[in-house]
Amino acid sequence: MENTIQILLLTALSLGAVMALQRLGGLSDAPGVTAPQAAPFIGGAAPGTHAWQRFHVRYYTMTLLFVAFEMEMMFMYPWAVVFVEEGIKALVEMGMFLAILTIGIIYGWREGIFAWE
Amino acid sequence: MSLIVGLPALLALLLIGLWAAAALDTAIGRLIVGRPVGMAATDPLRAVVADYLRQRTDTEAPDHLNWLLAPGYYFLLAVVGLALVPFAPDQSLIALDTSVVLWGAAEAVVVVAVFLHGWSPNAPFPLIGAYRYVAIGLPVMLLSMFVLIAASIPAQSLDLRAVVESQRGLWNVIRQPLGLPLFLAVVMSLTLRGPFDYADSADLAGGTSAEDGGPRWIAWQTARAAMLVAACAIAATAFLGGYLGPVLPGWLWLSLKTLAVMVAVVLLTHLVPRMPVAQMLTLIWIVLLPIAFLDLLIAGLGAL
Amino acid sequence: MGMSWARAFAASGPPPVFAAIGAGGLQRAEELHGTLRLQRSPRQAAILLVLGEIAPDLLPFLQRLHDHLPHPRATIWHRATPPGDWTDPVQATADGLERTLTDLWRSILSGDRASEPDFLPDKPPNEWRGVGPHGQGGKGMMGGTPYGRPMAMTDDDLRDGLSLDAYSAPFGPFLPMLPPGLILDLTLQGDVIQSATATRPPCPQPGSDDRPGDAIARLMRVMDMPALALRRTRDGLPPAMGIAMLRRAIPDGLGRARDGTDVRDRLDRWRDKDAPQADDGTRLSDLLPGLEWHEAMIVLNSFQPDRIRAICARSGPEGGDEDDKDGNRDAPAHAPPDHGGHQHHDMTGPAA
Repeated sequence: MENTIQILLLTALSLGAVMALQRLGGLSDAPGVTAPQAAPFIGGAAPGTHAWQRFHVRYYTMTLLFVAFEMEMMFMYPWAVVFVEEGIKALVEMGMFLAILTIGIIYGWREGIFAWE
Repeated sequence: MSLIVGLPALLALLLIGLWAAAALDTAIGRLIVGRPVGMAATDPLRAVVADYLRQRTDTEAPDHLNWLLAPGYYFLLAVVGLALVPFAPDQSLIALDTSVVLWGAAEAVVVVAVFLHGWSPNAPFPLIGAYRYVAIGLPVMLLSMFVLIAASIPAQSLDLRAVVESQRGLWNVIRQPLGLPLFLAVVMSLTLRGPFDYADSADLAGGTSAEDGGPRWIAWQTARAAMLVAACAIAATAFLGGYLGPVLPGWLWLSLKTLAVMVAVVLLTHLVPRMPVAQMLTLIWIVLLPIAFLDLLIAGLGAL
Repeated sequence: MGMSWARAFAASGPPPVFAAIGAGGLQRAEELHGTLRLQRSPRQAAILLVLGEIAPDLLPFLQRLHDHLPHPRATIWHRATPPGDWTDPVQATADGLERTLTDLWRSILSGDRASEPDFLPDKPPNEWRGVGPHGQGGKGMMGGTPYGRPMAMTDDDLRDGLSLDAYSAPFGPFLPMLPPGLILDLTLQGDVIQSATATRPPCPQPGSDDRPGDAIARLMRVMDMPALALRRTRDGLPPAMGIAMLRRAIPDGLGRARDGTDVRDRLDRWRDKDAPQADDGTRLSDLLPGLEWHEAMIVLNSFQPDRIRAICARSGPEGGDEDDKDGNRDAPAHAPPDHGGHQHHDMTGPAA
């Protein structure tokens, strides 16, 4: 409970400090941001459309592999704590688990999921 | 430890760390160019004050709230990381017995903070930087998890305080020699630097920060430097024995080791080029991740 | 002077500068990287440094760039002639640039010199009114011009045929990672280039072609090695160790031109100080489509100024074969008349 309160306090202080840093800064007598000033910077030319779009995410297949490894982490945290007690058995178990996931990486590599397709 | 003592200490450490990070970056950059170091200690301060006195610009129809908050998220994650670092036996601001897990979570959320920072301005370069960073930021987190779990094995605990104590005999950097080099890659990715800077890079005219002017620019760069301090302090704790050391007080040892890691990171930033994303993605999954497995194996066999 | 302590402290540091490079300014820009604080984006700059002659067709772009800088701001002309209607231009002589810069920085921070106002009128790029249920300025999901601009529309992807949004925009002519003066009309799906045409070729840079050290430095800067890019060994090149690292980070076979050389081959020629290669008829459409943004920037920076100028000159929007050999047309001849305005860029983009 005490930790939670401390983290919440740090959250409030950090967010507050950084927001204040941005809000209080800047010219007090500066004119407001005008339309030409607000146009996105692409080197002096003017874009035809807004930048927000249905962006083509090229790596979404990679993220599936990533999720598999993140699940593995759930298992690994407690495993690290009991490793020394369990000894060689824990090592073999984790070795088997990682071997299976490695097959996933090799398969994904063969399918070209790390290329920017 | 109580916040009344801890918070000012954390703040002091953070401010000194921020200044050291900026000065180091400037000084090492100049040394590599072959120019005199000059006023490297104060030049970053001048630049900060100058930017602070300038107009804060906006873009067309941005996501105002997230643009304002994204540097705050990033800064917060750095502060939480620093608060977990023990600076004397059993002394850290947040006394959590699963601090490795909390730091891992903070690392993962960095991807969200950087993405929001690039998404918010509604401009092409920040947007491309934001999406691209996710592709690299995610798998780099795996490296971090593996090497930090390897560091927790001899401690039989997920508490950074226990991780330091477990290094009384031998530091992890010697016991698990692959851990620290891999973690340096993680630090560069967390702080958007050099070979792992896929968010704020030169090929995108500054990427997610291309539209940041004046106070916005300072806020983001401050958060980035704070993350460098935090991640280097974690590296010093997990691999270089944290506060352990003879004669000098523990907090000074921790600071010196943090500074040493920072020098290494800044040097790598300047000396290693960034490869295209597809090559980096392959490198992380096919080369670096197996090396992380090996690190885990070495740590496991060593602990038996 | 009524300068506050903070302003005086800020003014004692180097001014943040954004360089807009015109004809003949590239070589000087390379020297200035070592002495000035050149920023990557105008948002972080206080002083716009116009370096080299700006052709009349580039002036509207320069004005739009100028308006991006936050206040207080100012412009300096160096090796460039300001147009007659530019109010109170500051010009810097060959060896007086740094002096002029610091004086100007001091005077805009103290308020002795007023910040330069916008050139362009303060109105949204397109008419829009908040009609439609979400104030989007049009009917339905895709219609209208919210906040003065339309949204990107879908198109089929070059690689996987997925129909996501295609983002078309003219990039340049004053982007630090593109050859100065080049206006590149790109259609992107995500960060992958679908089609590329040069609506305006880069400015001529006489004398830059026999400076391989500068060419390697530009490539290093794009790949984020800015400090090594400035260091020169006795043979005028960046350190050999840095070049070797750079070479290793470049994928084999990237950016193959019609003469069969890729980026690595061209880097090797610079390193060995071979004579610049003859033009081989390569077009942007041979090089860029299908490349991700970072790769594309590496490829564009792997040619000497004259060669990239020739490549761009034959990669115009008409795309015909008729001007295959002509890479040396004069700078202002090529921009279509609609580039001064905002609203002419229709959403369909160039056909892929």
